[in-house]
Amino acid sequence: MSIKTKVKEKLNDKILYSNLKTFAENYKVSRANALSGLDFFKLRHDIYKSKDFTKDEILSLFEEFKSNVEKSGCTVLHAEDAASANKLIADICKKHSAEYIVKSKSMTSEEIKLNDYLEKQGLKPVETDLGEWILQIAGEHPSHMVMPAIHKTRQQVAKVFEKHTGEKIDPDDINKMVKIARKYLREFYFKAKVGITGANIAISSSGTIGIVTNEGNARLSSTVPPVHIVLVGYEKLVKNFSDAMKIIRLLPKSATGQNISTYVTWIKGSNPSFKSETGKKHTYYIFLDNGRLSFLDHPFLKDALKCIRCGSCANVCPAYEMVGGHVFGDIYIGAIGLILTSMLHDEKKAKEILSLCIGCKACSYNCPAGIDLQSIISDLNVYMGQKYSINPAKKFVYSAVLKNPSVFKSAMKVASIIQKPLLDETKENIGKLPILSDEHNFRKLPSVKEKTFSQMFKQNNFDKFNSSKKVFFYPGCAVEYFFPEMGTKMVQLLQKAGFQVDIPDTQVCCGLPAIHSGDGKSGKKTILKNLKYMGNPEEYEAFLVLCPSCGMAIKEDFKKYTLEYISEFKKSEKIANKVTSLADFLNKNNIRLKYDDNKKITYHTPCHQGRGLGFVPEDFLKETFGENFIPLKDSNVCCGFGGSFSVEYPGISSGILNKKIENIKDTKADILLTDCPGCVMQIDGGLKKQNINVKVAHLSEIFNELDIEKN
Amino acid sequence: MISIDTELNKFIEKSEAVQTKCTVLKKDDLKTILKDGNFDYIKLNTPFKTYSKDCEFTESGVSKSIVNADFAIAETGTLVINSENEQLRLATMVSESLSVVVYKSNIVSKLENIISFMNESTSRENAYIAFITGPSRTADIERVLTIGVHGPVELICYIIEDL
Repeated sequence: MSIKTKVKEKLNDKILYSNLKTFAENYKVSRANALSGLDFFKLRHDIYKSKDFTKDEILSLFEEFKSNVEKSGCTVLHAEDAASANKLIADICKKHSAEYIVKSKSMTSEEIKLNDYLEKQGLKPVETDLGEWILQIAGEHPSHMVMPAIHKTRQQVAKVFEKHTGEKIDPDDINKMVKIARKYLREFYFKAKVGITGANIAISSSGTIGIVTNEGNARLSSTVPPVHIVLVGYEKLVKNFSDAMKIIRLLPKSATGQNISTYVTWIKGSNPSFKSETGKKHTYYIFLDNGRLSFLDHPFLKDALKCIRCGSCANVCPAYEMVGGHVFGDIYIGAIGLILTSMLHDEKKAKEILSLCIGCKACSYNCPAGIDLQSIISDLNVYMGQKYSINPAKKFVYSAVLKNPSVFKSAMKVASIIQKPLLDETKENIGKLPILSDEHNFRKLPSVKEKTFSQMFKQNNFDKFNSSKKVFFYPGCAVEYFFPEMGTKMVQLLQKAGFQVDIPDTQVCCGLPAIHSGDGKSGKKTILKNLKYMGNPEEYEAFLVLCPSCGMAIKEDFKKYTLEYISEFKKSEKIANKVTSLADFLNKNNIRLKYDDNKKITYHTPCHQGRGLGFVPEDFLKETFGENFIPLKDSNVCCGFGGSFSVEYPGISSGILNKKIENIKDTKADILLTDCPGCVMQIDGGLKKQNINVKVAHLSEIFNELDIEKN
Repeated sequence: MISIDTELNKFIEKSEAVQTKCTVLKKDDLKTILKDGNFDYIKLNTPFKTYSKDCEFTESGVSKSIVNADFAIAETGTLVINSENEQLRLATMVSESLSVVVYKSNIVSKLENIISFMNESTSRENAYIAFITGPSRTADIERVLTIGVHGPVELICYIIEDL
């Protein structure tokens, strides 16, 4: 089944939709509560640092761990790949004449498809985590790393239980279902000869593993049977308890929004076991490589091995929330799933699912290990683009059009003419594009304007305004061709405040669309060309953008893609330090605006505003609009635009947009402000399509109508 | 003294948030509870050692057990129990109702405060230490919080205030 078909199937799954939507809403609240009073960014930086190991360093931690537990008679084994790990585990089970094996939840065992292998060997593994057990008896796979059965309803679970146990089950009584699982699974702990667990943490200094659960099944699995097998990836090694506690503090908060999980179990070596003939537990540790060790020395993939498997990158991902983990990931799920699939599993499969990232950076922002997941995904897209070639139509756009300003300009000019018969009565929007299917018709698209921003800049003699206070404005494609007025209004405002505004001689795309779609080469050429037209950073107080995605590209990608060009890199660095958005600039320069109207205003935070440029203007807006400012619920959640994402996955894009529109309606605001032309395009298009009367505007458009307060 | 009470209050607040039932009491009150409590299993340090009681643990589990916690962590409402003793470990897992006794003076503020105890306990050849925060729970069916899936359905914490 193609990915687009799978996506469509999931978009039609109403149960999945409501389960994931409810969870995402509750999660955000619980997580925020659990983190209140803590410096999340400091804590995650500590985790990042404490897990920053090279391959050699991990191997020496492993040796230390090994010698610590061997002292108490345990066996420590290295498994190079999935097949050898499976064989080692099956051999141990056979050696101890096991029939039943109790397992507590382990993503690593999913990675090596352990159950399939054990069953083929005639062994009987029983999953004891409730969610995993439901899926095992239903013959399904997890759709979330922490909440494996999140896609199922109570009614579906009741049916699965009825079929398996033969008992009649009230489909609404969750409590009863949990009791059935308790009773049914309890006897397996006592029947089983072997218990298999994973480990969230392996501490080298003492040879102790830490296992985090809520149900208590890992405790029973590691206690009752006489044999305990611990399957653990090398990347779970940390130096000491001090580093382990840092993980324990953030893992549950990030996973489920709990302050701490019910059980954190610390086990070292071979403990007393009444079922063992020696009176001591037979304990085995299987350390799994399966490609991990070599990636520890990889320039951009090594960070993925800092993952503590909390699943927050799925919890906050707007695209995951629409399609779930059976599509958004493979064995590992969420943003980290897209990455680990590339590293540990089928690369072609990975290439496909990488396209599901909308690029909103919510995962990077929320990761408790400080992994910049979105940036890794972007680098992987570039890698995949080089290896498997990208969609030829896109490739043409990035390499032949966006990179070449004159070609792009001519193409947009042609578009502004041929779109004429399609325009609606306002001329601001296109009625419907005949080449697009109904699925794409969830929003009104803006028209290409007859005059570009650069032309209007000259025409209005903006270039004649001189001042000692100078700023540079980079308009970006959206302002240049679709929303020139956002640019002219900002220039007017800044000139009123006494600033000279300069713009590039020639407008070139920022390069982000090419990079995000995997065309790194075109992205790099576009960036180099851009730097030529950017003013000398020494001369300007700030480099302003009205599109935070362009701003983020200038701030991050310009440096990243000019590493081999020393003077361009230096210029990028200087510009990066001066890139800013309008409200941030006004705020820092103490320019205040006066609002006399009584229209209610709300604000949508563009993804790359808060998470790219690092400034959210809510306080500035509260100060400006006073009681007329109404905060928007989930303001910083993506609007579903994501550039070409909205064309590639219109169903996901419109689904995300509809949630945004619901929240906007709830504010009862008259005007929705935002900081990004792409968000304006998406949200305004959606509201107009649904005939909802809320005006959407860029900050620059409304700010220019207000008077500047005299200091 | 003020600081101990701050930790105590924080511990109780965090514990009750996860359905642990906390009672602050004197040693003599606990002795009465031990006498009248119908426990299946009692494993406590001095001065409660004389109340010790053993039982057999099978898949049918037991009704009530009571054990010591070495420490409690206020930040998270967590009880830290050295569970190397297998009987005690089983008691904390298969009892319907688990009671845990901790001294007020052993309530620490943060996870970090427990590190030296962890280092010391794991310096021996083997160790099994449990952090327990509330009764066993799951939310695996429709994210609905349900108490008592594999472990105790009830967790009671007795905090002894006199030394």
